[in-house]
Amino acid sequence: MNQEHTGNDVLLEVHNISLSFGGVTAIEDVSFDIRTGEIRAIIGPNGAGKSSMLNVINGFYHPQQGSITYKGETRPQMKPHHAASHGIARTFQNIALFKGMSTLDNIMTGRNTVMTKNIIWQALYFGPALKEEREHREFVEHIIDFLEIQAIRKTPVGRLPYGMQKRVELGRALAAEPDLLLLDEPMAGMNVEEKEDMCRFVLDVNEEFGTTIALIEHDMGVVMDISDRVVVLDYGKKIADGTPDEVRANQDVVDAYLGVSHG
Amino acid sequence: MGSELMFFFETVISGVMAGVMYALVALGFVLIFKASGIFNFAQGVMCLFAALALYDFMAPGGWIDRLFGITLPVWLAIVATIGVMIVVAWLIERLVLQHLVQQDPIILFMATLGLAYVLEGLGDILFGSDVKPLDLGIPQGASDWALDTLGLYVEKLEVVAAITGAVLVTVLAIFFQRTRIGRALRAVADDHQAALSVGISLRTIWVIVWSVSGIVALVAGIMWGSKSGVQFSLSLIALKALPVLILGGFTSVPGAIVGGLIIGVGEKLAEVYFGPYVGGAIENWFAYMLALAFLLFRPQGLFGERIIERV
Ligand SMILES: Nc1ncnc2c1ncn2[C@@H]1O[C@H](COP(=O)(O)OP(=O)(O)OP(=O)(O)O)[C@@H](O)[C@H]1O
Ligand SMILES: [Mg+2]
Repeated sequence: MNQEHTGNDVLLEVHNISLSFGGVTAIEDVSFDIRTGEIRAIIGPNGAGKSSMLNVINGFYHPQQGSITYKGETRPQMKPHHAASHGIARTFQNIALFKGMSTLDNIMTGRNTVMTKNIIWQALYFGPALKEEREHREFVEHIIDFLEIQAIRKTPVGRLPYGMQKRVELGRALAAEPDLLLLDEPMAGMNVEEKEDMCRFVLDVNEEFGTTIALIEHDMGVVMDISDRVVVLDYGKKIADGTPDEVRANQDVVDAYLGVSHG
Repeated sequence: MGSELMFFFETVISGVMAGVMYALVALGFVLIFKASGIFNFAQGVMCLFAALALYDFMAPGGWIDRLFGITLPVWLAIVATIGVMIVVAWLIERLVLQHLVQQDPIILFMATLGLAYVLEGLGDILFGSDVKPLDLGIPQGASDWALDTLGLYVEKLEVVAAITGAVLVTVLAIFFQRTRIGRALRAVADDHQAALSVGISLRTIWVIVWSVSGIVALVAGIMWGSKSGVQFSLSLIALKALPVLILGGFTSVPGAIVGGLIIGVGEKLAEVYFGPYVGGAIENWFAYMLALAFLLFRPQGLFGERIIERV
């Protein structure tokens, strides 16, 4: 549905990625690309290797084989710090917020890569650091308005209900003004209303800011609704890749979801 | 005021002074433990090392004198020592921590044990092992003001120490609450993975916390050194910090402060009021008894996060 602003230039491409943990193979020879401006869904049954793939993209996991091309540069693996400072932000399947910190502070940490004042300078002299702090605070307030979480600005996030925490985590990722946003099951465990809100936010981010999004989601309705293209993993292998309609019609995908035994 | 009461107050005040120092050492522990989960056994030796360096920079025949033929004034010597502690922090990250990132806490603890010996040896080689009187011009003797107006005997040094401690803690609090690095430190303490995902560099953060701990150690070293001279037994105050941590909780900055004060004041009062009945020397074991009681009844300490397994 967002086809109109999906360009053809590729923002990120993974080539023949294989990843294993000891004896367990999490990803086996998977390749796909993510185009600038699109919403790219990654789906598949439990344990298919979806989260592992996101972890490979932002450098938490280092694949044994394959390479990653991001913004035209090819590497055998990413590093978390490099990924973050080059515009890749993410959320986690099991919310990873800074539980003791307020909503505002959590989202402020997302500005980390954009706040550039030298660290030593900051330690020696509070003045410029405090001024920079105010400027970024303004940006963060915009995000808070956008996500409609004004009421919980000062609340320690550990006390927030699950759905709200997911929203704050999205806010923290958005604060980095990412080029590529990785969302690991942003709607899992939410009720219908919360899901609708989250869908709206994801679409708005994509349309208004032009942010490219890679999304893992189990709710097929949501996936088919909001994504431009879908890649399907099963037992670590890619079994389908295409538009929602193409994927829906693919027999391997239907089998994987119905649990037909693997030959 | 009755002289009984007066004596009580004097005891409490001298306890506060000792407490501030325990608290400062404990604070150094807490900072490192929060940010990296490492129990830094070398914290006490860092106090010693900082005090040794500071003394050396001001002393005739010290390194600066031998190399440049001058001795530094107090404030420059303090700046130079802070520089030394930052270099030490950087070296520790480079040579030790970086290579042990994914290891168990016990391995990291062992590494800091080794570090303590290395630093102590280095201090001995570089600065010599004799007791050095540290004189920074902090006023000595009793405060006339307190004696005249309140009739209390209070050491000036104790007042300076308490004020310095309070200022240091306030500055640290602002640093932690109001700046990007402070927030990054708290973020790392909270969740390593999430911190990495927003581009916080763990290595930079570690150098910073070890540097801050080094500076806190310097302040503690200055106070202890001004009181009883810079000597190698200084590294043993780390042992007193342990009960403070058990009381305050390993991850709580306010806990380190309150814990330090409770132990400082508690052991002085116990010594004065119960000492005579049990033959004295309560000060030597009071802190550990209190810690033991806490371990039995409230293992997470006064302020530590409750130890609950989430399911
Ligand atoms: N850090 C790890 N150590 C060991 N094994 C891992 C690790 N991370 C993932 N795995 C394994 O890799 C496989 C793929 O896991 P992954 O989390 O990527 O699946 P997923 O598609 O995200 O599943 P889900 O839908 O349940 O989130 C699983 O067998 C999992 O046990
Ligand atoms: Mg997953």
